[in-house]
Amino acid sequence: MGKTIAEKILGAHTKQGEASAGETIEASVDLLMVHEVLGSRIIPILDEMCVEEVWDPNRILVVNDHWAPAADIDSAEIHRRNRDFVRKHGIKHFCDVDCGICHQVLPEMGLVKPGDLVIGSDSHSTTYGAFNAFSTGLAATDSAIIIATGRCWFKVPYTIKITVEGTIPEWTMSKDLILKIISDLGSSYATYQSMEFHGSTIDRMSVGSRMTISNMTVEMGAKCSPMLVNNHVEAWMKERAPHIEWKPIIPDSDAEYVEEIEYDLVSDVLEPIVALPHSPENGRPIDEVDEIEVDQCFIGSCTNGRLEDLAIAAKLLKGKKIASNTRLIVTPASRETYLQALKAGYVEIFLEAGGIVTNSTCGACVGGHLGVLGKGEIAISSTNRNFRGRMGHLESEIYLASPATVAASAIKGKITDPRRI
Amino acid sequence: MKPLEKIAGRAWVFGDNINTDQIIQGQYLTLLDYKKMAEHTLEIPRPEFVDRVQEGDIIVAGDNFGSGSSREEAPQVIKEVGIRAIIAESFARIFYRNTFNIGIPAIQIPSICDYVDDGDRVVIDIELGRVTIPSKQKTFETPPLPEVVREILFTGGAVEWFRKRTDRSC
Repeated sequence: MGKTIAEKILGAHTKQGEASAGETIEASVDLLMVHEVLGSRIIPILDEMCVEEVWDPNRILVVNDHWAPAADIDSAEIHRRNRDFVRKHGIKHFCDVDCGICHQVLPEMGLVKPGDLVIGSDSHSTTYGAFNAFSTGLAATDSAIIIATGRCWFKVPYTIKITVEGTIPEWTMSKDLILKIISDLGSSYATYQSMEFHGSTIDRMSVGSRMTISNMTVEMGAKCSPMLVNNHVEAWMKERAPHIEWKPIIPDSDAEYVEEIEYDLVSDVLEPIVALPHSPENGRPIDEVDEIEVDQCFIGSCTNGRLEDLAIAAKLLKGKKIASNTRLIVTPASRETYLQALKAGYVEIFLEAGGIVTNSTCGACVGGHLGVLGKGEIAISSTNRNFRGRMGHLESEIYLASPATVAASAIKGKITDPRRI
Repeated sequence: MKPLEKIAGRAWVFGDNINTDQIIQGQYLTLLDYKKMAEHTLEIPRPEFVDRVQEGDIIVAGDNFGSGSSREEAPQVIKEVGIRAIIAESFARIFYRNTFNIGIPAIQIPSICDYVDDGDRVVIDIELGRVTIPSKQKTFETPPLPEVVREILFTGGAVEWFRKRTDRSC
């Protein structure tokens, strides 16, 4: 029987060189990404584990992104511990508070390539599936074991094959597609499984649009979500990691899938989707969503804070003012994205429109800082989770949408279809 | 390997999709002291939980318990308030792993919520994979755990397991 992408990549990282769905295996990791959880939880665990040396300082990326720059004394202490750890162990890849959100900066630094096994101490580590990698999130204890040994145990996942054909219409985005898939399948549909993406829609997609999809598969419980290499990924690798050799991982034609799901965007035209509070699975076509007034419009995060996201928002906001009943907060996903947006004139457009542009951080998305919601406030947000209390007060509400829908909503001060601006 | 003793305690019943933000909100994650953080355990779905939970109690929940963030703080605060086991109809992947890593059993039983009410006594025999609800005269048998998960749990968590496996002490 043939192998899926997940089976091939995990297999290539085992001693025996092979893995099949359902097995429990031990695999060597190519790269481990850790953020503030290093300072807050992992370092104390390493001390308890009597670990004094890291397995490979060249294969660890440390990022200070969630509360960047430090929002309070506790986060300052965590950042300080991370910096000390990086110095002490000679960690090669370090992004301090000026750098950006982990899932954006890791690919920007050329640290993921097709076929890699990448682990992050963050659930949205599924993002690197966009690069034909097996990537998944683990937490503090497993990260500590990887820091010590470079190895970890895994259950080899079964795979759901998702094929998407057709085009994404103007003013709709890959975010609308993934919100639609999550609303169709539900928030635990893919628990413990790999979601392997195929089809012409995914094949034509920019790297950023693909990352949005892989990023949010974890909202269905997916372990990983590898895609096939396309020419945008090839170009990305040439630019970001020109001296690194890689070859694409292609599933066998007789690979075994537990399920095959097809989306035909030709017959079923994609519309902007809005996920109602308090779950990403509550997606509805925007026509079915009331024009609710919003207190905060947020564009940013590892899901949708990339240049193409800021570009479409700027296109809508150019020469316009946001409504007086709302606020617009834009958080570019990385310093590089910020600089590109600055050069392209987007930052000026946002500021002229009455928006706020913050430094790059996970801040608002995790209810940390730079856009926390107060009691009873309603936000429309390009982020990934609208759980109760996620972005602030437990009586606040979050509607998830694409950056285009968020920008359109900022102009009108209420949830608005970007096709109507 | 030392077999875990039988666990018996009062049930706290929760619904489906209790995500990690419901267990512990992001705003508390920078607290470095688990005791302080644990004062907010499950405060969104059940504000009274922290005041009334007792050492040895058991959580019983519906589908997709622990979905969302990878935060190990979620099972840690549950452990901190005295919960000794979590039974759910299903678990999110990272939470499931984290729970065993900190030495707490996560037991999957489809439809468990149909048979347990708040306050019911639940008896768990990990060795046999058996869960009993005496007041409902109901017994569930669960499939064996993967070997590595069993080893981690029976060693008392992944820290101890790792130290033994790599022969470390300090």
